[in-house]
Amino acid sequence: MKKFVTLLFTIFTFGLLFVACSNNQSQEKGDEFANYPERPIELVVPFAAGGGVDLAARAVADYLSIKWDTPVNVINKTGGGGIVGAQYALEAKPDGYTVLMNNNSSTTMYEAGTTNPILTIEDHLLTARVARSPLVYAVAVDAPWNDLHELTEWVRQHPEELTWASVGPAGFSSFGVAEWLTKAGIDYTQTTMVSSEGASDSTAKVAGGHVLLAVHNAGEVYSLVEAGKLKVLAVQSDTRSPLYPDVPTTEELGFNDLTVSWWTGISFPQGTPEEIVKKWEEALFEMQNDEEFQEQLEKIFLESAYLNSEEFNETVKNETERFTKLAEETGIRK
Amino acid sequence: MDSLIYLLHGFGEVLTPMNLLIVVAGSLLGTLVGVLPGLGPTSAIAILLPIVAILDPVQAIIMMAGIYYGAMYGGSTTAILMNIPGESSSVPATLDGFPLAKKGRGGAALGIAAIGSFFAGIFGLVGLVLFAPFLADQALKFGPPEYFVLLLMALLILFNISSESFIKSTVMGALGFLISFVGIGLSSGVPRFDYGFPILAGGFEMISVIIGFFAIAEVLKGLEERRIRIKQVPIKRVFPTRKDLQVSRFPILRGSILGFFLGILPGFSATITSFLSYDIEKRFSKTPEKFGKGAIEGVAGPESANNATSSGGFIPLFALGIPSSPPMAVLLAALMIYGLTPGPVLFEENADFVWTVIASMFIGNVILLILNLPLVGLWAKLTDVPFGILAPIILMISIIGAYSVRNSLFDCMIAVVFGVLGYFFHKYNWPIIPFILCLVLGPKMEISFIQSLEMSSGSLFIFFERPLSFIVLVIASIIFAISSYLMKRTKKRVIEETGELQDLSS
Repeated sequence: MKKFVTLLFTIFTFGLLFVACSNNQSQEKGDEFANYPERPIELVVPFAAGGGVDLAARAVADYLSIKWDTPVNVINKTGGGGIVGAQYALEAKPDGYTVLMNNNSSTTMYEAGTTNPILTIEDHLLTARVARSPLVYAVAVDAPWNDLHELTEWVRQHPEELTWASVGPAGFSSFGVAEWLTKAGIDYTQTTMVSSEGASDSTAKVAGGHVLLAVHNAGEVYSLVEAGKLKVLAVQSDTRSPLYPDVPTTEELGFNDLTVSWWTGISFPQGTPEEIVKKWEEALFEMQNDEEFQEQLEKIFLESAYLNSEEFNETVKNETERFTKLAEETGIRK
Repeated sequence: MDSLIYLLHGFGEVLTPMNLLIVVAGSLLGTLVGVLPGLGPTSAIAILLPIVAILDPVQAIIMMAGIYYGAMYGGSTTAILMNIPGESSSVPATLDGFPLAKKGRGGAALGIAAIGSFFAGIFGLVGLVLFAPFLADQALKFGPPEYFVLLLMALLILFNISSESFIKSTVMGALGFLISFVGIGLSSGVPRFDYGFPILAGGFEMISVIIGFFAIAEVLKGLEERRIRIKQVPIKRVFPTRKDLQVSRFPILRGSILGFFLGILPGFSATITSFLSYDIEKRFSKTPEKFGKGAIEGVAGPESANNATSSGGFIPLFALGIPSSPPMAVLLAALMIYGLTPGPVLFEENADFVWTVIASMFIGNVILLILNLPLVGLWAKLTDVPFGILAPIILMISIIGAYSVRNSLFDCMIAVVFGVLGYFFHKYNWPIIPFILCLVLGPKMEISFIQSLEMSSGSLFIFFERPLSFIVLVIASIIFAISSYLMKRTKKRVIEETGELQDLSS
């Protein structure tokens, strides 16, 4: 009998939990946007905690929570290279309480590199860009090349000897390498991509001499450069990075029109009321002047890079077109 | 020297009120679960994972580590007072601990166990501080082929100690691999084995599977088992006498050294080292006839050894990302939730994190020593809590936990399904440890294999041609042989002492 009671109680607990878990998208009518936000907001990050997007999202959440006096909760919904979380957020009820923060690898690069993408830019109501970080070319500290020119010339001679690390054939690094080599007139397909689990995996492989080149955003290679295991050959930007004041930019070295760079920004599901989107746009605009937020960004090696909805839309559309062309030319899209 | 500065900085971080609270909570929670009969360190971590998931990464891992060594402590309490080892590594503690308890000296035995564990814990941590950064630095030389060989051999060694049949272990391991394949392909970026269900494209969350196997299955097992209320021997004096300490001094030292060095290598579980320590002490003793009848050395040695083994296990975990035992595999999974990849660059990229966690373990060990001696009576009472109360609580935390990792209801279902599966696997003697190990390590092994072949343009010889990879292969084979031999011996000893074969992998 006692066992039976235990069993019943157990089943009851299960039932209760399932009900509790599945009922989290409660109905709410919100015609009065003036009072937005009236309840906690879910800021969905489609990547693991601790990564660039996640840390930036946490800085945004901290700022907005105080500003609006309403909790903005960062929720990590990982998997599928960012697509699972993005899909979740963009298919949520467009009431302004589910927001997405992502980067180019799950937006422009994903769309450019995939034949039948599940999500496209059309599914995003791009609200504002928050931060960016330039792409850098990093090699082992004892590698024979001292700047990007020397490396480029070496690759021109020995394209089949170049190994570089990337998270999948349509990842950030692939687009970076493909653009650089194509502009230099070198056949990208002759070089070898080595798959990697992410920046910390590929930088370790390069530091250990197992792979020659790592192409990541400036912050991702910083700790190993500091530790004296990697050196940066060039920063892809028109201004020098405060992280590597002694490293020349690609512009300085005469590489023109190299455009791949990392960014993170906010999107809403299509159909979200304009008033809410405006409210976020304004808040994020004000945020870039907030000292605490700036400090947070500096700590995570990102640069504040606000763009309003219109500018952000244009940049992203441009990027998608450029990347799609690049992907088709170089065979990144198969 | 750098290590020391980082470590001091780590102490500074831990000694903030909030972090200190987390350390205390973690070690107490761990002890609490460890005390419950049948729940060992692996289950303790799995069950309490959910609570941890709401914390930020550093605090979460501090808490997990606390839960881990807390559970190790807790296991010995029931072993000594009630002759119920919480996990197989506590079996040696019952041999002399329980007789001591019957003589009314249970308190002294618990005291010695706590002191021995404390010493071993600190010993292991000092080793960790000295070795891990060095090993991590060397580990950069390990390329994908070396990693693949290392992982493969480590898995084979762990398979061998996970059940009575190597074939059964291998079958379960293969199943674990299959599950780890579901989701986005690591090198292709394309979903596979999703059978058209978008939810499967995200893959199986390993934490849900772990919660299912270790927490929910444990509840189902518990419902079925008839738990006999065992009358406890009352505890009189907790503090050991001067004489107890004197005879235990060297057993503690020997146990710590033995446990630590074997703990670094995969394939020497705490069960193996604690039995080995018990037998060594018996041989060293001038009065071996007292063993089994209440020799305090027989508690001191093995208890130190099993704690030192668990501290030693942090070295390959942090430096290489390789778990040397099942609880370490669960910890590895927890690290991965937070996007922390243990391995050569962890010490460079997340130095603050690593050193704060290490510092927290020093403090946690002190806290356990201070709190456990006076709390021994309370822990002992906890074992009386009826299962009918525990089961729903465990279930509730499990489901919340499975949900909280990805905020997905699908993951809750997975936890329940694997809970039921785990129950049947247990019932029909199919080991779940190889399954979990392969699920956690599968992606790492797969990517190492792909990377190796990308480097060699498809030639499999890369695994033998590179000198370092060949050396790893040879050393691993030797360890495999020694570990098999010791395992056989430990199995025989467990059967001798308890009359039945238990799960020896923890």
